Amino acid sequence: MKHDITFTINGESVHLTVLSHQTLLEVIRNDLGLTGPKYGCSTGECGACSVLLDGEVVNSCLVLAPEADGAEIMTVEGLSEDDELHPLQKSFIDHHGVQCGYCAPGMLISAKALLSRTSRPHEEEIREALVGNLCRCGAYADIIKSIQVASRARR
Amino acid sequence: MTRHAFISMETVFLKSFQYIRPESLEEAGRFLAGDAPVKLLGGGNTLLLRIQSGEEEPAILLDVKHLPGFKDVRYHHNQGLKLGAAVNLQHLVMGLEIRRHYALLHQTAQKLASPQVRNRATIGGTLAWASPVSELAAPMLCYDAVCHVWSSRGLREIPLSEFYLGDFQTALAGDEIITHVHLPAFPNRTYGVYRRQTVRHDGRRMIAAAAVLAYRRQQALTHWRIAVLGVDDRPKRIPEAEAALEGAPTEEEVDRALHIVQEQIHPVDADYARADYRRASLNVLLRQAILDVIQQLQSMRS
Ligand SMILES: Cc1cc2nc3c(=O)[nH]c(=O)nc-3n(C[C@H](O)[C@H](O)[C@H](O)COP(=O)(O)OP(=O)(O)OC[C@H]3O[C@@H](n4cnc5c(N)ncnc54)[C@H](O)[C@@H]3O)c2cc1C
Ligand code: FES
Ligand code: FES
Repeated sequence: MKHDITFTINGESVHLTVLSHQTLLEVIRNDLGLTGPKYGCSTGECGACSVLLDGEVVNSCLVLAPEADGAEIMTVEGLSEDDELHPLQKSFIDHHGVQCGYCAPGMLISAKALLSRTSRPHEEEIREALVGNLCRCGAYADIIKSIQVASRARR
Repeated sequence: MTRHAFISMETVFLKSFQYIRPESLEEAGRFLAGDAPVKLLGGGNTLLLRIQSGEEEPAILLDVKHLPGFKDVRYHHNQGLKLGAAVNLQHLVMGLEIRRHYALLHQTAQKLASPQVRNRATIGGTLAWASPVSELAAPMLCYDAVCHVWSSRGLREIPLSEFYLGDFQTALAGDEIITHVHLPAFPNRTYGVYRRQTVRHDGRRMIAAAAVLAYRRQQALTHWRIAVLGVDDRPKRIPEAEAALEGAPTEEEVDRALHIVQEQIHPVDADYARADYRRASLNVLLRQAILDVIQQLQSMRS
């Protein structure tokens, strides 16, 4: 079954025809060519596919594309503004929050959701916010540090 | 097709079905009465995995998240709490009325899965997924939650204590929809503790868990609730053990309650925990939880 849907992604409105059983992740990667969100497990375990759906972090592998009709979506591609990296992105670079980088798009989105609620999170809050994001390189310590430094730099 | 290869332009992992967003219960009811296999879609955290694995092959998915009233949350100090079936679990973590008046619900939800899963998972879908380790069941059982259910035959109420039938079965008929859950009001002096032991930090691979709640009305007797997970074919309360704690329990009465619980559970082996280990773990968790609650009651008195 086909659905004509419209949503906003990274500030741009898009109009698409999707199938009932397509996931939001497939549509974002394949139809829209935004390959920031990664396909890690498809079972909600790894968080590599994390996006913001109406401001809340979700696993896009477990959202059906037609469910996103009318929604506002942000992927890691939407973090930077006018070619200027987001403070979180800069901090990930400066403090080695990226090892192979596969988990980074999801980590950044979870961090973004956290910072929009809590401007100065404690380490424990950062850890809780990242419970749904796995890093196969085990770069957790540097990821947490990157987020801490970025949150301190923000006013 | 290997599922772990990189996604290609053509790859579609879910078997084909029709996604339908009904606007009323009556419309949903018409699909449920039809011949095609229908499943209700909440947050999809369990259902989509079951479709991926082929355990479920619905022709139609009815998205019940947008039905009128399904996202309502209402609290009244006498009437208690009404939670629409499509309210997400993250609301149990963040909602002020939950933190203030149903702290055990907040405490449990905070540990459940991840923000990603909680933002999508619904109250209705979580209760309907009757796993013996479904963590939401523990506080809901302690708070005497009642499921309100709609079908084309009418409305009915199912107390959560009668909802779980064991081995992933519930008292729901195939064409019934949970519309909301109701929790009665509890006195301000209500204390709860949830303790669990899991292999993984996100709550998966549960060995055992226990929720304990105690409340007191006008200095009268303290009433107790005990719910256990992971040690039987369903989440369950242990009323006889609760009765043994009634009042301000002595050490012997706590031992007696723990003994009763041990007699009423039937843990099974899992590949990550043997049955006797789950049994022993529950005993430790439950004792700690009871002692924590006693301490809270005492500090309140002074
Ligand atoms: C990565 C991951 C980690 C998890 N970790 C935990 C954990 O730590 N602790 C824990 O307890 N659980 C955990 N879970 C399980 C999770 O809590 C459940 O999958 C989720 O809460 C189910 O809710 P849902 O809304 O997504 O249900 P869905 O998957 O949408 O539906 C589940 C079932 O309920 C039915 N249903 C949906 N809505 C209704 C309704 N209104 N009336 C009647 N039937 C309905 C559906 O048809 C389906 O059969 C985890 C799941 C994942 C994917
Ligand atoms: S790909 Fe979505 S959680 Fe792993
Ligand atoms: S940096 Fe490699 S998976 Fe996290």
